[in-house]
Formats: sequence, C-alpha cells, structure tokens
Amino acid sequence: MDMQSEVSNASIAISPLRASPRIWVRGLFFLAIGAVLMLSSAPARSQASGTPSSAPSVVQADVKLVIGGNTIKNNSKVTLSVVGSSLHIATNKTTVEVTVPSILDIFTNEDSRQDITGAAHFATMAIPYGGSRVLSLFSHNVDVLTLEFTDANGGYHGAIFVLGQGQAAPIKKQLVAMGAKASVPLEVATQTSK
Amino acid sequence: MKQHTRAAVSVVASILIAGSLLAQPRPVDTGTGQKLSSSSIQIQPVDPGDVPLPAEFSVAVYENLITQIGKTGKFQHVYRSGDKDAANAPDLVTLRMTAQSFKKGSQKKREVTTVAGSSSIILKVHITDHTGQTLVDRDVQGKVRFFGGNLNVTYDFSKKVAAIVRDQF
Repeated sequence: MDMQSEVSNASIAISPLRASPRIWVRGLFFLAIGAVLMLSSAPARSQASGTPSSAPSVVQADVKLVIGGNTIKNNSKVTLSVVGSSLHIATNKTTVEVTVPSILDIFTNEDSRQDITGAAHFATMAIPYGGSRVLSLFSHNVDVLTLEFTDANGGYHGAIFVLGQGQAAPIKKQLVAMGAKASVPLEVATQTSK
Repeated sequence: MKQHTRAAVSVVASILIAGSLLAQPRPVDTGTGQKLSSSSIQIQPVDPGDVPLPAEFSVAVYENLITQIGKTGKFQHVYRSGDKDAANAPDLVTLRMTAQSFKKGSQKKREVTTVAGSSSIILKVHITDHTGQTLVDRDVQGKVRFFGGNLNVTYDFSKKVAAIVRDQF
C-alpha cells in the first residue's frame, strides 16, 4: 500500500515534471501567436490611423519648380502632393518635404507663359519673315504658387512653382485647411488675380 | 598750322583725360579704399515697403541672391534669415534689401516688338557689419529687355549685387 501510494505519489510527482515542457511549449506557442498578433496589429492600427496621412489628399503632377527646391534643380518637373501634414515636392530621384507648421506664407497668382521656351525658342529665331515673333504670340495662362517656409535650423526659404491654370488653389486650400499660414486668403487671391 | 596742331592735341589729350577719369572704378562705399573682410553673411528677405512687389519676385530675388553670393566665394558661410547658427558668427555682416520700384513687363510684348514690355526692379541694397555700421548702401537695378520671363529681372539683380560684393569684399 505504501508502495502503491509511493508509486502513485511518484507518478503524481512525475506527471507535473513531464507536463511542464508541454505547458511551456503551449505557453510559448500562445506567446508567439500573441506576439504575431500584436506585431501585425501595430502597423494595421498605424495604417488605419495613418490612412489619411499616407494617402496623398491632393496631387499635382507635371509642375515646374522654378526656384527654391534645395536639392532639386531649378526648372525641374516635379509632382506636388499633400501627404499627411506636409507638402511633398518629388522628382523621380528625390523628394523634399515641407511640413505644414514650417510654412510661413502661401501665395497664388496668375501669369502667362510662352509655349515655346528654352533651346526650342532660340531655334525658332531662324524662321524667316519674323516667324518666331508670330510664334511668340502663342502663350497660355498658368498659375504661380509661391511658398515661404523655414528649414529645421530656422532659415528662411522660398519656392516658386508654375502649374496649369486652376491647379494652385486646391493645394493652397488644402495646406491652409491643415493649418498653414497665408497672409492673403484664397478667395481674395483669386479675386485679385482675375 | 602749329596752333591748329596744338589745339587738336590738347583736345585729344583732354578727351583722353576725361575718358580715363570716367573709366575709373567708382569709389568704394567704405571710403577707405580697402577691401572689407568677413567670414559670414546673413541675407534678409526683401522688404517690399510701399512697392506692390509680387511674392514670386521677392522670393526669386532672395533665392537667386543666396546662390549668387555663395558663388562669389567671399564668405565661408551664407546664412539665411532666421538661421540659428548665424548668432555664433563673430564677424557677421547683414544684407538687407528694400524695394524702390518695380515694373512688370510682358514677355509676349518683348518678343513680338523687341522695344516694348521690358521688366525692371530697383532695390536698395544695404550691407551692415555686426555693430550696425553701414558698409554698402546702393540702389541696384535688375532688367530684362529682350528675351526671357519676367522673373529674369531677379537673376539680373542678384548677379549685379554679387558683383558689388565681389568688388567690396
């Protein structure tokens, strides 16, 4: 009896020792699942909250950066997009980010640009009978977007963009709605430019 | 005959003297004739004053000037307005600009007529040292007469200011 009880006791005593690796394995398994769920839920949550921030709300492609793009060359073709709380100025190679709080002022204006510019313009000068002057008559209206902002060190910067007619206002509107400063309200700017 | 020759010689000589006097470089603003020296310059944005200067012209002047002053190689540092590091520069000089006049021409008119539609901008350029003493005080004009967009006046202006800086420093 004593032997049996001892054996039973021993079996009882041994069973937790045998079960412990299983429990550990199960525990580790649940921990792993929990970790996977936590890790997978973290980006999902940030994506969900960041969906409006990561998806650009306003995008304007084929914009001419006249001056002030820092690492981007003057007169480059860029894509302007309002992403999250910043304006992205992007080429195929690089992107310059201007955060909304760093924007000091935004201006929109209308102007006219010649259709033929650069080397092609000089090539037209060879056209006889003043043909190049006739070509100069062809111009189209464009929007000019001017941005004043500061860099991380507090230094003042300015950038000028030329967009298609009517394309500057949505960008200004979006940036102002996000808290960017503008000394001239959009309505006034559109009235004065007309 | 001799009198005629002497008169002609004296006229030619006076023309040459007058020409050489006119051809002499303008006296430097410092008055001492010595070149100024500074390791760093800070450029302030354009003060439009009462002149209706469009924002894009003001910004283009500023950005072109930053580039052109940098190209002169006269300063180790060209600080933008508001740059925190400028406070540590011991011999900082400051360049300020105030608009005097602005005429926005027409690129179309320029290219069609070649005589009308010119653009011009005149800004007062004021450079002071760290004590506030005036080093340069000049009106500088930027022009575009024949080809190019109106914003080219800002490039012309900044090239002229860079030439002044090269001359003075």
